[in-house]
Formats: sequence, C-alpha cells, structure tokens
Amino acid sequence: MSFEPNKAENLDACIKCSACTALCPVAAVNPLFPGPKILGPDAERFRLEGLQIGTTLLNYCSKCKTCEITCPSGVKITEMITRAQEDAKISGGGKTLQFSIRDYLFGRAEYLGRLAMISPNLTNVLLKAPPVRKILAQVLGISSEAPLPAYNPKFKGTETGRQSKKQVVYFPGCFVTYNDPPTGQAIVKVLEHNGYEVIVPSFHCCGTPLEGNGYLNEAKEIAKKNLALMDPFMRAGIPLITGCTSCGLALKECPSFEEPESELQTYDLFEFLWQLHEQNELRENFNEVQVSLGYHASCHLKAQGIGTPSVRLLRLIPGVQVAELDQGCCGLSGSYGFKKEKYNTAMQIGNPLFNRVRQGVASGEFQSVITECGGCQVQIRHGSGIKTEHPIWVLMQAYGLN
Amino acid sequence: MSDYQVVIIGGGATGVGILRDLSMRGVSALLLEQGDLAHGTSSRFHGLLHSGARYAVKDPESATECIDENLILKKIAPHCISNTGGWFVQTQDDPPDYVEQWIKACAEAHIPIREISPSEAYRKEPLMSKSVLRVFEVPDATVDGFKIVWANAKSARRYGGQYKTYHQVERLVMEKERVVGVVTKNLLNGEEIMVGCDIVVNAAGAWASLVAGSIDIPLDVICDKGTLLAFNQRLFQRVINRLRPSGDGDIFVPHETITILGTTSQFVDSPQENDPNEEEVKKLLQIGEQVLPNLTKYRVIRAFSGVRPLHREDHDVPGVNVPGINKEEGRNVSRSFVLIDHGVHNGVQGFISIVGGKFTTYRLMAEKVSDWVAEKLGNMTPCRTATEDLLPEIPENLWKKAAQLLPYAPVGKMLERLQEDTESVLGEIQRDPRKGQMLCECEMVSMAEVEKTAADEDTHHLADIRRKTRLGMGTCQGAYCTYRALPLLWKRQEKYDAIEDELRDFLNQRWKGIRPILWGQQLRETELTRAIYASILQVRG
Repeated sequence: MSFEPNKAENLDACIKCSACTALCPVAAVNPLFPGPKILGPDAERFRLEGLQIGTTLLNYCSKCKTCEITCPSGVKITEMITRAQEDAKISGGGKTLQFSIRDYLFGRAEYLGRLAMISPNLTNVLLKAPPVRKILAQVLGISSEAPLPAYNPKFKGTETGRQSKKQVVYFPGCFVTYNDPPTGQAIVKVLEHNGYEVIVPSFHCCGTPLEGNGYLNEAKEIAKKNLALMDPFMRAGIPLITGCTSCGLALKECPSFEEPESELQTYDLFEFLWQLHEQNELRENFNEVQVSLGYHASCHLKAQGIGTPSVRLLRLIPGVQVAELDQGCCGLSGSYGFKKEKYNTAMQIGNPLFNRVRQGVASGEFQSVITECGGCQVQIRHGSGIKTEHPIWVLMQAYGLN
Repeated sequence: MSDYQVVIIGGGATGVGILRDLSMRGVSALLLEQGDLAHGTSSRFHGLLHSGARYAVKDPESATECIDENLILKKIAPHCISNTGGWFVQTQDDPPDYVEQWIKACAEAHIPIREISPSEAYRKEPLMSKSVLRVFEVPDATVDGFKIVWANAKSARRYGGQYKTYHQVERLVMEKERVVGVVTKNLLNGEEIMVGCDIVVNAAGAWASLVAGSIDIPLDVICDKGTLLAFNQRLFQRVINRLRPSGDGDIFVPHETITILGTTSQFVDSPQENDPNEEEVKKLLQIGEQVLPNLTKYRVIRAFSGVRPLHREDHDVPGVNVPGINKEEGRNVSRSFVLIDHGVHNGVQGFISIVGGKFTTYRLMAEKVSDWVAEKLGNMTPCRTATEDLLPEIPENLWKKAAQLLPYAPVGKMLERLQEDTESVLGEIQRDPRKGQMLCECEMVSMAEVEKTAADEDTHHLADIRRKTRLGMGTCQGAYCTYRALPLLWKRQEKYDAIEDELRDFLNQRWKGIRPILWGQQLRETELTRAIYASILQVRG
C-alpha cells in the first residue's frame, strides 16, 4: 500500500479519543461492527504494514460521515475506510460475488437512472412487483422490503431558459434527475424568482454512490469530468448550487477544489439563499403559510458544517413552524439500507427518528416532515408512513409559485 | 551435587538462545534473569536483522557473520521476522568516495546488493528525500526482539529447559578454583536460593561485568547507550540505511506498526542509564531529515534507549576516520563477539562469559557457547538451531477459527505471540465473545489474550504483559489500555504489586519515553492521558 505525506499526517492526528465510535450510528445498533476508530485509524496502522484486516466489516460502514464531523482532530476516517475497502476489493477480498455485482450497480446511480429512462413507468411497475423483488433479493441481494424510489421522466433543467446578468449553475444530482424532477424544477423556479438565470450543464453523478460502495478512484474520476464541465463557470465566478446535501458534500470535498476560492463557490441551496437573505438580496415578500413541520438534518448536511440554513430560512416565512427532530441518521445512507444484509441495521438506526416523527404527528406537533436529502425522504416515508419532502416546496408556497 | 548441568545468567536473546541450544542437545540448563525476559538490550534496539552491509567496510568478520545468520533466521524463524528488504541510500550529505569501497566490501562478504534507480526508489518510498543520489537494495529485514526471545524460551521449555525471571544472581559459588553454583535472589519475595551446577554461562550482556565482578574477575564491557525514536506509523516499507560510515541517526526501520529511527552512541557508566534525552532526540531528527524531509511533521510516540554491551579487548580495531566521530565512541569498538573461558584467562574453571556481538548473531553466539559447554560436558550432540524451526507450524484450523472469532484483528500476530496457548484463548472468546474485544486497540490485543498473559506464571508486572503482547506500545502509549488491564491483574492480585503501584509504575515507564518528545500530536495525546489519570482517576506521583 502506498501513501502520501498528507495521509500520514492525517493518521497521526488521531488521539484515540473514540468520539467517532461513540457517535457512529451503525456501531450503536450493530454490536458486531467495531466502529470507525478501529476500522479507520487503528486498522490503518496495520494496513500500512501490509495486513488486510476486517475486510468484510469495512462494507458495513454506511459512509454517513458522522465520524468525520465528530472527530476533534480532523481525521478523514470515512475516507480511510473507503480506501481500505477499495484496496480489499482490488485484492479480491471482503465481498461475495453477488454483493460485488450489486454494489457495482448501486455505485452507478447515474447509469441505472439512464436505463430506467427507457421507460420509467415500466421500471416502476417492475420494481413494485413482488416476484421481481424476490428475484432482485435472491440474485442481487437487494432487500425485498427496501423502499426503492420510483423513477420519473428525466429532469430537463436546460429548457427553463431565463436570461439574466445574475447567474448560478445548478447541480441537480441523480435523485432529482431520475426520481424527483419536480423538486428540481421547483428549485429552478425559486432561483429564477430571485432574479437568477439558472444554468444546468449535463452533469454526471457527483460520485457519492460510487464512494459509498467502495469505488473511491472512480468517484474521483467522475468528479474530474464534472469539474471540467464546471470550469468555465467557476472561472467566471458563477456560484454552483445544489439542493441535494450528499451532492453538496461531494462537490465541496472534490479533491480538485483545493484552491480555497473555488471551494467558496459551491453552495448548498439554502446556504446560498440564506446568504442572499443576509445581503438583503432575497425576495422576502412571503405569503403566510400555516404549516408545522418536523425537520430532519441529513448526515451529509451535518458533515458540511454549515448548520441548518433551511430551518433558519423557513422560519422567516410567516406561519411556518419548524421543529428540529434531532434524532440522528435515518439509516438509509444512499443504497446502504437497500441491501438485504443491511436493511435491518438501517431500519434500527432510523427507529428513533421514525418514532419521533410518528409521535410528533400523532400529538399534532407537526403535520409532515421536511429534509433536503432524497434518500432520507424515501426512508422516513418508509419507516414512519409520514409525508416527507424537500423544504423547497414550503418556499414555493410562500412565493405562491406552485 | 548439581541441580543442573548448566546455569545461564541473562534472559536476553543470547541467553535464551543458549538455553534452547543446550536443551536441544539434552543438557539440563536453568536460565536466571533479574527482570523479565528481553527487558534489556534485546528489546531496546531498532529491530533490524542486519544483512551485514552496515559492517562490510569496517568489520568484515561481523559482516560475514551477519549475512550468514540473516539467512538462517529468515528460514528458522519467519514468524519473528518481516522480510522487508533494505536500502542503502547515498544522500548529498554522504561522502562520495565511500560508495565504491562499500560495494567492494559487500562483494567480499558475499552480501548481495542491487542498485536501483532513484526514480524507482521514489515510487516505492514516496516519503523519501527526492535528492538521494544512489540507492542499493540489500537483504536487510526486521526482527521482533520480544517475539524471538519468547519463541526461544518457549521452544527451550518444550525441550526441558527452564528459566526463572526476576531472579537476580547475588554471587557465584566457588569451590577451590571452580564455579559450582550460583546464589540467586527472587526479587519478588526476597528469597535466596543456591543452585548447584557444573558450568555457569555469563550471558548478562551489559550486566556481564557485574556478574564476573562477584568473584573478582575483571571483564571489560563498555556500556554504550543508543537512543531511538518510535514514529506512530510505518513511514517506510523497508529498512533505509545511510550509505556512509556508521554514525548517529543513520537508519530507519519499519517495525511492526511503527518506524524506528536510530541510533545515537554514548558511553555510560552503567546499564541502568537508559534514559533518552532531548539532545539525542533533536540530533536524530536533524540527521533523519536528510532522508525523510519534514520529518518533524510526523508523530513520534516515544523515545527509548538501550545499552549495547561492547567488548573492549580489541578496541584498537581501526575505525574509518570520519570527521566528527570520536575515536572513543562505541562505533569504533568491534561489534563482533568474544567468548571468554575464565579457566584460561583467570584460572577459574566452569565459568564462561559471552560478550559483545549483536542481536542478528545471537544464534551463532549461542551455538559457539553451547559447543564449548557440550565439549566440557562430553556431550557429542551437534547443534541443530541452524536448521530446526523455532516455532511449530500453526495449524490451519486455528487460523480459521481465530479469523472467525476476531473478524477485525490481525490474528496472525496473535497466533505468533500465543503459540501453543492460542487454543485456550480462542476457547475463552468462544465462551464469552465480549473477551474478543480489543483491550489495547492501538496494537489490537484482545481482552482474552491479556487475561491469559496476566495469568501466566512468568508474568509478574503489567510491563511483562506489555513485552509479551505489545499492550500499551501503540499510538496512545497506554492512555486507555492501562486502566482496562487493571481488573485482569486484580483477579490474580497475589502475583502482582498493589494495583495502584502497577498502574503508577506502568504510566511512569511510558512517561519516561514520552517526556523527551512532547510536542505536536503526542502532546495532545499526553494531555488526554493526564486528564484521564491525574484528573478522573486522581492518580498521584
């Protein structure tokens, strides 16, 4: 195993405090999972010795990155685990053939999406059919209970066509592009409502699904392709915005964005809108919206370290009540909770959240849930049965755009 | 009447090597060690299994011995050795005329060397300085001092050899002009016993002159302190030597999970003087930087010192004249070993001392001593240590079982440490899976292994558990494993000092090595450790 100076320094920073393991959602529910400290920096010292250890367990990391945001020493724990997973895969260890094929497919959400676009309706019918799910479970190890999201005709952002001097580049991400185009259109409308021309180049996947399934190198390759598409806009100082928190994290962590000024150009949607608010550039002639909402902060939003800008922003709207649920990870972590050997773990991780949601709705504290992450939406709906959607829809109502 | 044919004094590599060799020849032998096995020089070195290339120019005899023993040990003790290979690199700071001299000397000593291009070298060792001029590959390897000493002791025991640790030799017992036994004191309970024997072998290393001195035999052993730094992780994949005459800080050794940079050389008055100091640390870092740029950025977890026992008899071996190296420094004393028959030299029969030498040649030293002893005893059995494996092969099913019960541990290391005790430890984990948790997470030592080691009859202190298992030797330097181990000592409290004393002693031993390197990440770690012990647990002193 080869390594670079900054990786060596990063490993040195671990002082073994175990804060990462104390807060790891997987370790909390799965006693066989030794946690990020052991699989990350502890095992890393042995991996540098040429020993591959715990290869099967590495695959149980959900890549939620709670460990990285928790670490008081800035150790890139998830990255260490993902790299180890990739090295184990290259040397043929760690996974059965079935799981390898499945994870290969799950890593490529973009291509699965494109495939589904041949006929989204047919795909949805098939994905809902119990015999098909039985086959998927047996052949590919995809849990037959997993809430696989439905496909929709592809998001076409480029056709919105408004011209303005104020421009933003919008990164829709695979979930909006293939599963939830209306949310993407809503985001474009809100930005346009605020006087922006929204440019949507034909981006590739952000790489998060690849990383989540242990394909770090490929994730970096795809990031380079996206970077090439973004380059002219970045040079022109046009900000890049995404409404998906996992895409947002991937774009902010993109290895080529090492110059600080280019990193500053990448925004979470509500982070951007909040900045407009602070600069008095946000249109705030909101209609009153009488609604009470439970807000779930996704793990990858937390990992961005920007707080919860959507909650701050929605609270500016007259009538809107937002309760922060603060129950940790939903458990899904992209495709993690779809896998048959991890489905139960994912549901156990999400249980406190699902209970909180059900109780909140039952007691009338709020009527529905909002969260930016498409995966979290799917999982919360699945686990609690309560309507869950992107916070942009509240803003749409407040602007009277829907 | 003799209790044993032979008493061996000193439980370092040489002593246990002799115990094993004699036991294999059917000679009854007892080894006496004042502390724990390998507590002295045999664990306080860089862990290099020399190819001999280091000595080729100056000390060809040592070089030949090294390459021969290097090949033998790789064959008989592969589980104690990591066959990393090694490089000799010439930097801009090294004398250019030394290279050709060295190449020639290696050829004469039959040490295979191969030049590789600097560009290939940078690819294989990305942290190495980009300004090295020439790189040569040699068959260096690394050896685990603790493991090989214990493997020898355990193998000797299988052949009937015995050892007693924490037994200090008070004096040798003479009858006429002959040594007939030793008086030894059990340091744990203060009892003195007399052990009768036909021959006493003094393999006490840096303590050898004290042993000989008890019957007024002068033995000139120079105590040469060498300080080393332990880095938190493997910075290099192979041994990196400087291609120049031996000097301070000229070698990096990737050893188990860490990298060791060594060494310094300074004569001291007694083997107890093994405290590393800040000047030595600074010096090592400064020299090490020439091979590994920005060396101070990487975390040092501790400094430690060992005392090399050098024999002065041939101190006029001409050293290569390097500017800045004092003639009186340890490196100009021969690293070869000497066997002194005190019957010939001092008129005392039945007493032999083995002094000098180096870790790499411990087996050869043991063979020479054992040959001498066997001849005296009329034992005709030849030496078999060069061919017989040190460790019985680990059965495949134990590997599988261990990997299944400890899915994230480096189980190979555990099997090598535990050897025949593996089965009982795995059985314990099977009975109670919680014992499969890592008590020492940095070096990945399970609770069951610590419990078993704590119960061993030859374990008397927490530090003994450390030497047997590596507990407390990793990144956190005992911050977490020290208090976790205490309940396991408590279960066997009759064997140990008061629990609070064990705790304090262990922490203070760790502190001795941390104090000279208190900066950066290790300072943060130490503050955390201080918070745990001084604040939460209210440990004083």
